[in-house]
Amino acid sequence: MTNLDVAQRIRQLPGWIVLALWALVVAVPLYILIVSCFKTTAEIYGDKFGLPTSWTLDNFANAWTQAQFARYMWNSFAVTGGAVILTLVVSAMAAFPLSRYQLGWSSPVLAFFLAGVMLPIRLASVELFTLMKTLDLLDSRLGLIFVYSAIRIPFAVFILANFMRVLPKELEEAARLDGAKEWRILFRIILPTIKPAVAIVAIFTAIAVWNDFFFPLIFIFDDDYKTVPLAITTFIGQFRTDWGMVVAALAISMMPVLVMYLLLARQIREGVGATGGLK
Amino acid sequence: MSTNRLRGAPIDWPKHRAAALFVLPALVIYCLFVIYPLASSLWGSLFEWRGFRMRGFVGLDNFARLFVEPSWTKLSGAFTHNVFWFFGIMVLQNGLGLIFAYLLFLRGRGTAFLQSVFFFPAVLSPVIVGALWRLLLTPDGAVESLLHSLGLLEGRLTILGDSTWALWVLIAVDAWNWMGLPVLIFTAGLRQIQPEVFEAARLDGAGNGRILWSIALPQLVPSISSLTTLTFINTFNQFDLVYVMQGVQGNPNFATDTLVTYFFRLAFGAEGAVGITDIGLALALGTLLFLLLTVVTIGLLRFFERRTVRL
Repeated sequence: MTNLDVAQRIRQLPGWIVLALWALVVAVPLYILIVSCFKTTAEIYGDKFGLPTSWTLDNFANAWTQAQFARYMWNSFAVTGGAVILTLVVSAMAAFPLSRYQLGWSSPVLAFFLAGVMLPIRLASVELFTLMKTLDLLDSRLGLIFVYSAIRIPFAVFILANFMRVLPKELEEAARLDGAKEWRILFRIILPTIKPAVAIVAIFTAIAVWNDFFFPLIFIFDDDYKTVPLAITTFIGQFRTDWGMVVAALAISMMPVLVMYLLLARQIREGVGATGGLK
Repeated sequence: MSTNRLRGAPIDWPKHRAAALFVLPALVIYCLFVIYPLASSLWGSLFEWRGFRMRGFVGLDNFARLFVEPSWTKLSGAFTHNVFWFFGIMVLQNGLGLIFAYLLFLRGRGTAFLQSVFFFPAVLSPVIVGALWRLLLTPDGAVESLLHSLGLLEGRLTILGDSTWALWVLIAVDAWNWMGLPVLIFTAGLRQIQPEVFEAARLDGAGNGRILWSIALPQLVPSISSLTTLTFINTFNQFDLVYVMQGVQGNPNFATDTLVTYFFRLAFGAEGAVGITDIGLALALGTLLFLLLTVVTIGLLRFFERRTVRL
């Protein structure tokens, strides 16, 4: 190492300290959350930063059974899974002809979809509520799946159409000459070639739906159909003094996202860098 | 279609029908659950409402009612909080995010791990983030212990109940939540600038701060544009953090009330002591907010479009 290298390292030091500090600001609250899950409520009040003196799983057990988190998790999984699949299937079907056929009317239709990326749908919640009531979709997982898909379709169509447009024409010509049906070309040839785009759409839809609590808040009244985020909001008020259970519930509900993030951090980072956001 | 006709070729009806059938499911879901409710909300703001039932046409009456008491205090308060929120996020989140991104960029590609750490809170639900910080910030919570041991505070920590500070605490929590976004967008933007530009500036003896300000920033306009627009849309739609941390009334004493929490109270019956639903007022507020969002978003995009440096 030359003197120049050393000097370079020293000059970089303050910057590293700044970055490390922010990493701490992010990590410490999450650390406190995780260790608190394994402490008794008394100990959470006592020693906030240390490791538990005796590790306990009671908080998880309580949250899972007493607070019925098993049910809320199932609802969240069902709604998220349903919304991701419905969004992907109908958006891929729409993006395919709009990006690859010579139609003459595809640009205005794409623009109409694209406008939806920015529409503040929450402001329509009164009329949406009336509509859901008319369609008998209140207190229903299916109702949530439809609303979430409708909200995510614009982004999905936009991304999928952009990826499909640049594929070479020959890709489907051969299959078409062999007499393959259009839906077969889409699902067997086109979609497998644009896996990264499908992944981005699936990941972002899953995160957005898993995390949302606004629509369950206005459409779900029956405890049987509550999703995790909605359950948490009622939960914090209800069990305010039982911190052990509250932190365990928070930890359980962030687990699926954490696992996904550990597996897919690079794709998520690149997707956000390229498309501009999750919300 | 028209070029086909000019060439005398027949219109390929089966192709158009197949295309329409493929587009239809997405179009129907999107129109039914997004376009229709939005359009009828805008239209409905011109009518009188009894509960959830639409009565006669009243023109701009609902809008007029928004601008007189008792609504006016709430409306102007909520609007002010949204404006503070926007500028707070621009400085705290996007300003700091730019500095972090630049520091990461200068340190090369070995910083992916830190980027992942910075971005992680952004994949968490605002409900989890809000609940977590509410626990950390309660009297006798972790933040209070930390401030005590650093000697920065004596007695109880009550900022969430303090009407001068509560809003800024929420803004800081929001910035904590979304800090990874400007970091990612700015690092992506910085990597698109040609390395020679930085080298030339460095040979001219410019320091890192100067390079960021005079060389990098003008070329980062596309990143700044999308971040400003996203920040505007997100801050003016702010609801989740307020609801989870301070309740739908924007406690204490409406100090953290936002336009969407006010809208929610009007629409779903949590406004005032008896929980009055005032759909007409809610729809008028929604329509104004919709117009504000649309006009300002388009304005922002235009503004930045003209300032984009083309190479």
